[in-house]
Amino acid sequence: MNDEAGAGAPGGGGPAAGSLLQSTRALLVAPAGLVPRVRRPTGAGRAIPVLRGMYRWASGNFPAILLLVIALTVIGVFLQGQGHDQGLTLMGLQLRNALVLGAIYALVAIGYTMVYGIIELINFAHGDVFTASGFYAILIATLFGLNGLAAGGPGGLVLALLILFPVVMLMSGLTGMIIERVAYRRLRSSPRLAPLITAIGVSFFLEGFMLTRAGPDNVPTGRSAWITTHAFTFGGVSVSWKDIFVVAVALGLMFALGAFIRGTRLGKAMRSTAQDRDAALLCGININRTISVTFFIGSALAAAAAIVYTINLEFIQWNLGYRLGIIAFTAAVLGGIGNIVGAGLGGFLIGAIYVFGGQLVGGEWSEALIFAVLVIILTFRPVGLLGVEVTTRA
Amino acid sequence: MYKPKAGALSVAGIASLAVLSACGTTGGGGPTSGGGGALGSCRGTITVATDLPLTGGDATDGPFPAYGAQLAVTQANDHHTLGGCRLKYVSKDDSSVAQNGHDPAQGAANITALAADSSVIGVVGPFNSSVALTEIPIASQNHLPLISPANTNPGLTQPGTNPAIDTNALYKGVHSYFRVIATDTDQAEILAYVATKELSATKAFLFDDQQTYGKGLRLLFQKFYTQDGGTVVGSPASLPSSTKTFSTQLGEASTDGAKLVFFGGTTGNGCGLVRGQMAAAGLTVPFLGGDGCEDTKFLTDAGANANGAEATSAPDVTKLASAATFYSDYAAAYSNLTAPYNDGKKEPYTAYGYDAMNILIKAIKAALINNHAKVPADIMTFRDDVITQLHSVSYDGAIGHTTFDTNGDTTNTGFTLYQVQSGAWATKETLAVDTSGNVSVKS
Repeated sequence: MNDEAGAGAPGGGGPAAGSLLQSTRALLVAPAGLVPRVRRPTGAGRAIPVLRGMYRWASGNFPAILLLVIALTVIGVFLQGQGHDQGLTLMGLQLRNALVLGAIYALVAIGYTMVYGIIELINFAHGDVFTASGFYAILIATLFGLNGLAAGGPGGLVLALLILFPVVMLMSGLTGMIIERVAYRRLRSSPRLAPLITAIGVSFFLEGFMLTRAGPDNVPTGRSAWITTHAFTFGGVSVSWKDIFVVAVALGLMFALGAFIRGTRLGKAMRSTAQDRDAALLCGININRTISVTFFIGSALAAAAAIVYTINLEFIQWNLGYRLGIIAFTAAVLGGIGNIVGAGLGGFLIGAIYVFGGQLVGGEWSEALIFAVLVIILTFRPVGLLGVEVTTRA
Repeated sequence: MYKPKAGALSVAGIASLAVLSACGTTGGGGPTSGGGGALGSCRGTITVATDLPLTGGDATDGPFPAYGAQLAVTQANDHHTLGGCRLKYVSKDDSSVAQNGHDPAQGAANITALAADSSVIGVVGPFNSSVALTEIPIASQNHLPLISPANTNPGLTQPGTNPAIDTNALYKGVHSYFRVIATDTDQAEILAYVATKELSATKAFLFDDQQTYGKGLRLLFQKFYTQDGGTVVGSPASLPSSTKTFSTQLGEASTDGAKLVFFGGTTGNGCGLVRGQMAAAGLTVPFLGGDGCEDTKFLTDAGANANGAEATSAPDVTKLASAATFYSDYAAAYSNLTAPYNDGKKEPYTAYGYDAMNILIKAIKAALINNHAKVPADIMTFRDDVITQLHSVSYDGAIGHTTFDTNGDTTNTGFTLYQVQSGAWATKETLAVDTSGNVSVKS
């Protein structure tokens, strides 16, 4: 009995819990929403399916978008009333901050959600893989002299990024694969508590290792000169290329991942493994390799998040990933654990709650608000935001 | 003549017997004694003590002022400062294994024991404000002078400055607590002066790290800054020490037109990070912090944006001319100690411990002279005499000129303003506050 978890949660969860698990697996199978799965060839939509998908998404969610714009305007007016001279500008500025922060949470959250979707494990070491990637990035930048290269001009910057991203993502991906091989694979058919405990163990191991190697203080990454130029100012809100870079990398990688899972053989193998591991095995899918690839991709995305984080904030610390990981995990749960689109959405939502909560209620409440929202969501919609939608469809 | 009771003798131990035997032979003042001659007929041994954290996590701080105080006692005996009377030094450790460092309960036990010892006339200590909270009531009830070399929390002496401390309730007996280090009230007044007069910042955005020191300093700064005509924009950000991203608050600061960013707290809780992230938020205004910010970690965390940041910190006494003799005496007296304890300059509070003990000895001497070179038979009378002398003491020592105000706080209230220049902290100027709260530049 390889897949006892699917037959019912331990502790007598019964058929309800079982169907919940089935549906969370289905989320990974069908990350629909942003890009349509079934393409209907009609005119221009055929040539640029992504744009068409965005248009469809925007028109389909028009009430939600309208609501969002109204809410942001109300926040701006409210801030004005609170004694801020430029309430709307402040709102716009915080929206920018929320997007930048949310992009990083989203990238990390996807790693949690992918692993959960395929083997129902909360990979507590994921946040520490994020931290380790930050240190890999410092190592690689020093090794190849990338800091000097990137400061040299736009060409040098692009070259430096083209070296840094693949190399560090490869290193982190391998780290993730090794963690899976060493700490989780042998426990795959054990009770679910066992791999959970090894996950915490791996997390502690990585943190301890980084503490002894890098020391307790913030380690500067020396990337202040990488992206410095200001892009544009809109309504008093200054946006730098660094902000655009962070959000663009996150969105780009998320779309690439969506395309990979939908369009490739490995992606199909991942979907079928998530849906029913035993059946996938019977169909000749190499389960071990598929799970390894899942860990590789999740960790590589965490590495991308770490790189943009260290370009944006210019430092890394041995335990940075612990708290960031917990918040990103919250984002994954908020969006519907196992659902990749949900993780992305959850990341941006958590970023918004963090920033706007900090602005409206007070910075000391930011983290408390995140978890308060989580409690409310789990109480009234246990499968997360996008979970319900896909459940009805499935 | 003062005869120690049997109980006191047993505490005094062998060292004091040796001192007693030497006592009769050397009658009047020694060669370098300044006025010991008036006490030539004085007989007896007077015990002075230190109560400082010496072990555990505080082993890198506490022993330095203890060695400084011990040096003051040794020198007083060598120079026959008290004429025919001798001083005995007792060292207490307020660390406990349970706390791995200073422990308010251990401090209370130490002070209770010292107060019960009728040969003990005064104590230099404690090091930590939390320990002072448990020690002051005991010392106050037993009329035992307590001179701290390092407590900066204003709530210990100034009612209403710390919401968590009922200052008046600490003093159930006489006001026997003094300190030779300036308080965070003075530091905040100096910071407000720098903000409004030197940086001409009319609007400021304030941060703190939610902790006793950081939030206390921020609240005091806010009070004085507003008094001096400054305006606080937005709402002060009181953030947990785990905060790494300050873009929300810095965004608020920039849209509200802040001309200054202030941080009350330590670099471990984000002082340098705030400075480092100001540029990305479009804030090119000055940055000001307290003594928790002035360290090398700030330079690492703020990176390329560190330059221009300013912070106040305790005066650098190691560079004072008045301290030069002390540091060479310390090095000579403790050359046999292992590093770092053989170098008094490794810890700024070394000289504060030395001066605190010298001030106590000066008060004892004045009390003895007033009592015609006789040690009062009743220890409570003697302690009261010393407290009276301490309230009017005027002493020029290693850390400068010290007198105490009615609260027992030092009037030597200098703080040095440092600025990051070319990636390193450089001394800008030293400022002081007078008793009516006026700040002036000393050097």
